[in-house]
Amino acid sequence: MSQGAGTPEKHVMVPIERMVSRILMTGIAVSVALMAIGLVLGLFDRQGMPTHVVPLADLPSLLRSFDPAAYLSLGLIVLIATPFVRVLGSIIAFAREGDRRYVIITAVVLAVMCLSVLLGRA
Amino acid sequence: MAVIVGILIVAFIAGVFGSMLGVGGGVIMVPVLSLAFGVPIKTAIATSIVCVIATSSMAQTSFASRGMTNMRLGMFLEVATTVGAVAGGVTAVLIEGRILQAAFAVVLFYVAWQMGRRRGDIVPVETAVMPSSYYDPAEGRQVSYGVHGLGVGFVLSFCAGNVSGLLGVGGGAFKVPIMNLLMGVPLKATIATSNLMIGVTAATGAAIFYGRGYMDPHWAVPAALGILAGARVGPRLAIRLRAKVLVRVFEIVLAVFGVLMLLKALGVGV
Repeated sequence: MSQGAGTPEKHVMVPIERMVSRILMTGIAVSVALMAIGLVLGLFDRQGMPTHVVPLADLPSLLRSFDPAAYLSLGLIVLIATPFVRVLGSIIAFAREGDRRYVIITAVVLAVMCLSVLLGRA
Repeated sequence: MAVIVGILIVAFIAGVFGSMLGVGGGVIMVPVLSLAFGVPIKTAIATSIVCVIATSSMAQTSFASRGMTNMRLGMFLEVATTVGAVAGGVTAVLIEGRILQAAFAVVLFYVAWQMGRRRGDIVPVETAVMPSSYYDPAEGRQVSYGVHGLGVGFVLSFCAGNVSGLLGVGGGAFKVPIMNLLMGVPLKATIATSNLMIGVTAATGAAIFYGRGYMDPHWAVPAALGILAGARVGPRLAIRLRAKVLVRVFEIVLAVFGVLMLLKALGVGV
């Protein structure tokens, strides 16, 4: 066992771990920032805190007019999208490792995720 | 304002336990939101799914940097859970919801009993299948293990995905015992890997709920923020605590979860 070899607490991340960590951390940071902006805008809004999310189509125009619901919604969207991006990033990391079997396995997961969102919309 | 602070506190606690055990915290969020805060059930479920994603993402940044997550095992079983979740709609037609909830409760009690009987973590066996190792600070040593029972694990993960797709909760509560008891994965690696997996099915569910307009930022945003803070703390506890203690906590949570499910099946509140 590698006990006593240097500092055992320090784990050196392999590329896939680094990729997953980076994606998740970025997703969290962007999402928290957007939610914070939305909350601050909501505090100064006469209508108070919004109780509905904004449909995707209305998002761009509402973001431009600093609508609190738009920023809160986009924060939630980024949070929800993060695992999708994480799976996509895993495919890339496995491909770089040359692990073809796991590229396929991970691609199947992404495909099923997208399929179930499409099925659920109906 | 008081309500927002209340949600933040509840979400923080759910985030700590959910990430510490790899079960996501939806178990706590749905009943608390609907019973204590009067949130409509669909909105409560939508909020709790967002919480599961937040738990998964945040917890993973701690576990992955420790090398505790078995990425390949996670991806492999995600195939089963995602396909199982999609197939949940088919099962819903075949079996009545209440029977399913009762069966779910029975399985939870059985798993809690099985985990309790061990009085500790499994003894890892080094095999050539998805080998992995991590440093366990509580034991002060490197833990190396290999996975076995891939077939059984895959089939049962399909069932877990199927049931959680139907009932909206409970994915992690099954994933942890499947990997730990049947596939030879030490508890801490199991918790880390389950934490990674629950984000995938939750993200799919959340996207659907968002599209249907059940998401309410007024509940979901403070809940997500509280969970994110809690899920910073939970993994640290999981990493530091002895596996024996984690098994005990997990057992209790499963039993409580089982009771809640049984009450639901019998049509009593919650």
